[in-house]
Formats: sequence, structure tokens, C-alpha cells
Amino acid sequence: MKKLGLYVHIPFCLQKCVYCDFLSSANGDATLYEDYVRALLSETAAKGPSYGDYTVDTVFIGGGTPSVLEGGQILRIMDNIREHFSVDEEAEITIEANPGTLTEQKLNDFGRACINRLSMGVQSFDDGLLRLIGRIHTAHEARESFLMARRAGFDNINLDLMFSIPGHTHEKWKETLDAAVALRPEHISLYSLQIEEGTPLFASFERGEFIPASDADDRSMYRTGLSTLQAAGYVQYEISNVALPGRESRHNLKYWSMDEYLSLGIGGHSFVNNTRFSNTTDIARYIADAGKTEAATFHVNSVRDNAGEFVFTGLRKTEGISLTEFARRIGVPFDEFYRTEEREIRKYTAGGFLELNGDRLRLTETGTDISNAVMSVFV
Amino acid sequence: MNSYQNNIRNFSIIAHIDHGKSTLADRIIEKTGLVAQRDMKEQFLDNMDLERERGITIKLQTTRLLYKAKDGQEYIFNLIDTPGHVDFTYEVSRSLAACEGAILIVDATQGVEAQTLANVYLALDEDLEILPVLNKIDLPSARPDEIKMEIEELIGIDAENAPLVSAKEGIGIEDVLEDVVKNVPPPSGDVDGQLKALIFDSYYDSYKGVVVYVRLFDGKVKKGDIIRLMSTNKKYEVTEVGFYSPGPTAAKELRAGEVGYICASIKQVKDARVGDTVTLDADPTKEPLAGYKEPQSMVFCGIYPAEGEKYETVRDALEKLQVNDAAFHFEPETSTALGFGFRCGFLGLLHMEIIVERLEREFDLAVITTSPSVIYKVVMTDGSVQMIQNPTNLPDPIRIDHIEEPIVKADIMIPKEYVGSIMEICQDRRGKMIHMEYLTETRVQLHYEMPLNEVIYDFFDALKSKTRGYGSLDYEFIRYENSKVVKMDILLNKDLVDAFSMIVHESKAYARGRFVCEKLKEIIPKHQFEIPIQASIGQKVIARETVGALRKDVTAKCYGGDISRKKKLLEKQKEGKKRMRQFGSVEVPQEAFTAVLKYDDNK
Repeated sequence: MKKLGLYVHIPFCLQKCVYCDFLSSANGDATLYEDYVRALLSETAAKGPSYGDYTVDTVFIGGGTPSVLEGGQILRIMDNIREHFSVDEEAEITIEANPGTLTEQKLNDFGRACINRLSMGVQSFDDGLLRLIGRIHTAHEARESFLMARRAGFDNINLDLMFSIPGHTHEKWKETLDAAVALRPEHISLYSLQIEEGTPLFASFERGEFIPASDADDRSMYRTGLSTLQAAGYVQYEISNVALPGRESRHNLKYWSMDEYLSLGIGGHSFVNNTRFSNTTDIARYIADAGKTEAATFHVNSVRDNAGEFVFTGLRKTEGISLTEFARRIGVPFDEFYRTEEREIRKYTAGGFLELNGDRLRLTETGTDISNAVMSVFV
Repeated sequence: MNSYQNNIRNFSIIAHIDHGKSTLADRIIEKTGLVAQRDMKEQFLDNMDLERERGITIKLQTTRLLYKAKDGQEYIFNLIDTPGHVDFTYEVSRSLAACEGAILIVDATQGVEAQTLANVYLALDEDLEILPVLNKIDLPSARPDEIKMEIEELIGIDAENAPLVSAKEGIGIEDVLEDVVKNVPPPSGDVDGQLKALIFDSYYDSYKGVVVYVRLFDGKVKKGDIIRLMSTNKKYEVTEVGFYSPGPTAAKELRAGEVGYICASIKQVKDARVGDTVTLDADPTKEPLAGYKEPQSMVFCGIYPAEGEKYETVRDALEKLQVNDAAFHFEPETSTALGFGFRCGFLGLLHMEIIVERLEREFDLAVITTSPSVIYKVVMTDGSVQMIQNPTNLPDPIRIDHIEEPIVKADIMIPKEYVGSIMEICQDRRGKMIHMEYLTETRVQLHYEMPLNEVIYDFFDALKSKTRGYGSLDYEFIRYENSKVVKMDILLNKDLVDAFSMIVHESKAYARGRFVCEKLKEIIPKHQFEIPIQASIGQKVIARETVGALRKDVTAKCYGGDISRKKKLLEKQKEGKKRMRQFGSVEVPQEAFTAVLKYDDNK
């Protein structure tokens, strides 16, 4: 049986964070939530039959803030998925949850839905910084939520942490890291704040209200993050992710390994049968069409697409890519396929940004810092 | 006078850019019924897209029209259009020499401009009858009475009865035509005399060879005649004569006083130069017509194929352009930075911009142009003289006694409120004020002598920018003058990039050097290493900037499987890289070459 990852998008939040450019709205109410869930159930039911020869081995309910929904709604979503897809018993099933939206009741409902992994958007353990970036919770609430999840039986929890927040100092970042380590989550994502166009943070930046962290500070915080977490027993497996051994996010790894995944809900991106497609981002239309709005984008990958994507997504992983695997998937040996890029590639290997070790090509530490420049060679 | 000449009127339209010359020409053609209205393209005479877009005429088109006047007689109008820009003064003067009269269009909202005056003087030089016309009379801001006074005051011609027209709306066109009949003198000339014809334009036709536009002053010419072009003494057999109405119409012969075309299997436009005299080989005229000048390039620059463009393709395109443009020259040159390319000569900056734009648009080519330069007269210590237009070729300073640079007379016309700021930019560009006059209460003309080098750098842009477009400029070469100019080089990561080298006046070198370094710092993306950017004169570094090393270019978190978005970003990044030029270890975006030349309001 072929394996499939399922992504379910819940485009609602209680409040938009100032840096967020994801597809999510804080203007929803209970009625809209329920209408959306119904459309989602209908989309799931409609799509399920086409995936008869797949086993779903990961599910990721992301957002937005999926935990704004009632526990019962999540339960219905999961039951519905199980009804229309064949979900592996051992499947990794993750839900994103923000401290401040979690209750014991909800956590119990998640458990009943067989959700076995929680991803918590903690971002920081500094109340001043949390307020600054528009988070609705305090550090204390984050800790409480974490412990509550533990008590509810969740033994696989991720914490999202953010650095390069305006005004971030190394000390504050170190405090956050230490606080996170003290909780002993199985997985930690660490990423630098990006100032995305169209966000309130961007507008504030344009008005000159803050000075973003310098590239040098950003990289140094990143290094501090990795070394602190490594010292605490975490292993890096992707540019922004570390985990205790064996606790890597299987769902996320699918994105970096050209594995197949299907997205449900608005704005979701899928990669199935060598085709990338995405859902509409128009929630009104999605609800009106009962989740059956035709794909907003649809693209059958060429060999060139596959080669580029295999390399650049693979390079996000610490282990990098296998050249044998490249040749098996693409049908042409790596060296031959990238003959015209040879000089560029050599520039990066000679400069210590890319490392070729036997069969594996991977980014070095400095290569990671400028990974976009390196990856762009291969697309 | 021969009787057929009584009913011929040869005239031009002269005007400042945008004052409506082409639109009026369109209306005249329409009114005389030559072209059915439905066949009219806007602005018939400007037949190149580029001209239409810029609203200026580069290449002349001449048309023969029939007009039934109010006196009941039919007249032949030869409407000779003129190019409307400062770079084409000579061509304008030759077109005017083919006429007896000129319609002077003055925008009734804007009044007389420097360009208008310059053209009027050219017309007066040719003893033409000048018929003033006020255009754009339909606009609410039209001030016809005031402008009439201005014309009388400035030009010294009677504007009392000047027709009030709106070429756009078709108002008053008939008045203009009647004015032409009454006031433009008919041509004279001896039809039985020796052939004496003025070439005022030519273009290349792939079937007929070069088609030469002529005005016959004496004699006649027909198919089969052997003609001689007097500047080169080359002979050709006439294969066809005729006129444009507006398509080519073959005629039995052309006679004294008439305007038309001659085809004679001439291979290149440069063999039939504007201003040259055509005569019959068997019975030549003794004296050629006065006023012939070889076209002279005043501005030069390197044109190089951009990344991914072939040298041969660029060469073919340049050849095609040259066939139709006797004033444009090019020859192969090599730059260590840019590889194989061409050194090109132009009449002026606009001419250069037009050629570059045509390469890009008509031929769909990507090219890099280097800093425009003028010709410097380099007097060596041994007394010999070298004319240098490529900074790279400037000899070792030790062997140079002194350098002379071309000086132009610049006439600048501006509304009086800008006098202060314009005097400032003139002074800043080493201009010497000769005098200043109030043309009217609100308009001022500044007469300056200025190095051409400064004019071509960014003066025109600065003038336009400082006067919100109301300033106009006319310039002509007057002499060479001793000058303290130096060669300034640009080094990227310690390597000299010859394509950035320029010759500048000593007093400007520091400022220019700083400007170029700052611009390059803005444009050159961060690399994996630090890049020093230096401007130097000889061994001496006069300005320096540094592009810091790339420390971070990483997407921290990738959102739920949206690989396409990430891929698009990477593809864009790669595409950007392709448009870069590699100089040693440094990659420079192509726009860097133009950016260092652009006028910057903030500087």
C-alpha cells in the first residue's frame, strides 16, 4: 500500500499575531467554524474514495489555531477521516494548539480522537516579547498548558520557539531555551522571526518603529539555539527542527522527502501522483461548494521540477540527499543532470557551504545560513 | 518662373516637442483627402512606433498633397516633416532648405520654447516665410492673445493673423491651408538648367535600395539618367523617380521646384548623405548647393551583448540600424569586463537612447551600454594629437601634455522661478554663463558655455527634474578647450572593471567616484565574501564602499507543504543570478551599468 500524509487546515485564530502571513482569520465565530467543519467533512468524504490504495500514516491538523475549535468538532473531523480513508493504527496524528486555547476537556477530546502528538506555539517564555508579537498567552500559561497536556497523556509534544524578535537579546533567548528544555518536550522547532510583507509587523518596520536583528545576531542566536538543545540531548534533523532520538516529525519529513500528501481545507497544498495542486483560499466559496471547489492550482511535475524539488527540499534535512536516490527517482545521475551548474556547485563545495560525503550531499553549517542561495542552483 | 511652379507650395512644420506637429500634419493630410479617415493611423508622418510613443519625429517623411483652395485652383503641397530634437539640428536645417515656407506651431498654453526658437532661427537662416499657428486652442488654459504677443516679441514676426487651431479637434485647419497658399512663395528655378537637387533625407528599402528624398532647384531628372552625388563623385543610374502621396508613386520626371524621390540602386544610406547635391553626370552643375556637412558623432558608448545574447545577433541588428541612419557609427571593440562588443557613435544623447531602445524593442535584444563619452583631444608631449572617446584608450598620463574637451553653447529656456536652481545645476556642471535674458515677464533664456561631457552625463534629466518638465535645452558644439580631465576607474574586489571607467573633470572626480561606489553598493547583492568597491585615479583611491558578506539567506520555516511557493522564490533567485555579469569573483546585475549614469535628485 502506498503511504499518504494528510494535512487539515483550520484557518481560524483568536487573534492574528503581528508577524503572521498564514491563511488564517481572527474574525470567525461559532457559526462560521461549524460551517467550515461541515464543508471539511464533505470534502473529506468526497476525496476519500480516490485514495483507496493509500494508507494514511500521518495526519497533521494545522492552522491557524486548530485548538480554537470545540473538542467535539475535532473529534468529528478525525472520525470522518477514518471513515473515508484508511488510517494506519500507528499513524502519527498531530494537532497544533496554542496555549490559551487548551482546556482539559479539549485535550481529552483530542485523546479520544486518537491524536497522539501536540504541537504548541509557545514562541517565547518572555512575557514582554510575547505581548510584543501579539500572542494571547503568557509564559506561565504556556507552562500550564504543557503540563496539562502531559497530564492528559500526551507523550509526544513539540514546542515552537522563535528568535530574532525585535529587541531580542541573547540572554532572553537563552532563558527561553532553558525554559523549554526544562519541560523536556520531545521535539522543538526553532526559527527566526521573518518580517513578511502585508503583516502589521512589516508595516511597523516600514515606519521605522524597530530595528530588526542583524544577520549576524540572527545567526548567532540560531547557533546558540542548536548548541543548547544539542547539549540537552536533542538531535537536529532539519534546518529548523530538533527532536529527541526517534521523535522526529514524520509528517514534516514527508515534505522534505518528496513523499505524497493530501491537504484538506482551504489553502492546502497537496502532492500526489507527481502532481502539485492546491485548494481555494476563498472560505465563502469553499463553504458554499461544500468543500468541493475545484483546485485553485494544478501542476504536473516535470523531471526538472522533480529534480529541483528533490534537491532543495532534501537539503533542508540534516542528512541531506542521497545521490543514488536522486538517480533512481530522476532517471539521470546527479552529475549528469546538473552538468551546466557544475561550476556553481563547485563554488559552494569549495567554499565549504555544501558537503559531498560518499553518496550524500548536504549543507554545512555555514551553507545552512545561506541555504536559499545554494538551493537556487538546483531549481 | 515656369507656370507649373505657381501652384506648388513646399513647406515644413516646425515646433517644440509635444506642441502638436504630427497631429497637425495628420489633420492636413486628412483635410486634403489624401488618406481616407479610416485608414489614418494617428500621426501619419511618424511611422516608427518608438517615435509615436515618444511623441517625437526622428526620421523624416515627406508627402505630396493636393489642395483645392478657395480661389478655385488646385495646389500641390509638399509637406516636409522635420525631426523635432536637439540632436538632429543638421537634418532639420536640410529639410528646411528644401522649403520656401514653414508653419511654426506654438502651443497656446505653453508659449515659445527654446526648441521653437532654435528651429525658427534655422528657418530664418534659410530665408523661409514663417507662418505662425497657435495650437491647442481648445484647452481651457489656452492664452492665444498673450502667446501672440510673445511670438511677436520673441521672434519678431507678425502673429496678428495667426490661425487659431486645435489639431486634435480639427479646428482651424482650413485657415492654415489657405495661409500656406497665400503666404508661402511658390518655388522658382530653371527647369532647363543643369540639375541641382538637394538630398534632405534617405532611407533603405530592401527592394529598391536607398530611396533618396530630393528637392530640385534647377533642371530635371528621369529614369535612365546617370546622376552624380557631388560629395563623393559617385555615379548611379536612376531606376525610378516619383513622389509620396503617401505611398510611392512613380512619375515620368521630377522638375525644378518639385519634391520627390529618386531610386538609383544605391547600396547604403551613407552613400546618399543628407545635404549632398545630386546632379547629372552628363551635364553637371558647377557649384554644389551650400550647407553640406558630414554627420559627426558627438557622443560615444560601448554596446555589449547582455548575458545570453549573441555577439552576431547584436552586430546584425546594428548593421540594420546603420543602413537607415547615416549618423550612427559602430565598430567592434573588446572590453576585458564585458567581452566582445561595439563602440558606437551618436549625434547626441537622445540619438543614443533611441538606438539602444530600438535594439531592445524592435530586435528584442538585451544589451549593456557603458558610460557615454565625448571625444577628447589628447595632445601628447611630443606634440602629436590623439582623439580619444573610449576612456580605456586614454594614453599613459606621463605622455600627455594636456587634454582638451568639447564645449557646447547651451541655450536653456525656463520659467523665471527656476532661474536660481538651474543656474546652480549649470554651475555645478562647470557651465559658464554668457548672458541671461528675460524673453517675456515670466520666461528666461540662459546662455551658457558648458562642457559637452557634463551635458551628456545627466544635465538634461536634471533640467527636466528641477523645472518639472518646463525647461528646454538646445545645444551645439563650439570649440575644444583645455581641461583638467582625468580617467577614473572602478575596482570591484580589487579588480579593475574597464566598462565602468570614465573620463571626468578633476573637480568632479571625488563626488562622481563616491556616487558610483554608493550606487554599486546598493545594486551589487551580498556575496559569500566582502566586496570592496573602489574608485581610483591612477593608483590613488578616491572613494570606497564595501558590500558586506552574505551572512543569512535562509527560510526558517516552510509552511505546510507549499513547495511551489518556495520553489518560485528559488527560481526567481536563480533567474536574477542569470542576469548577472561575472567580473572576477563578483557578480554584478546588468542594471548597474545604467544606474551609475542616472541623475539622482537627492545627490
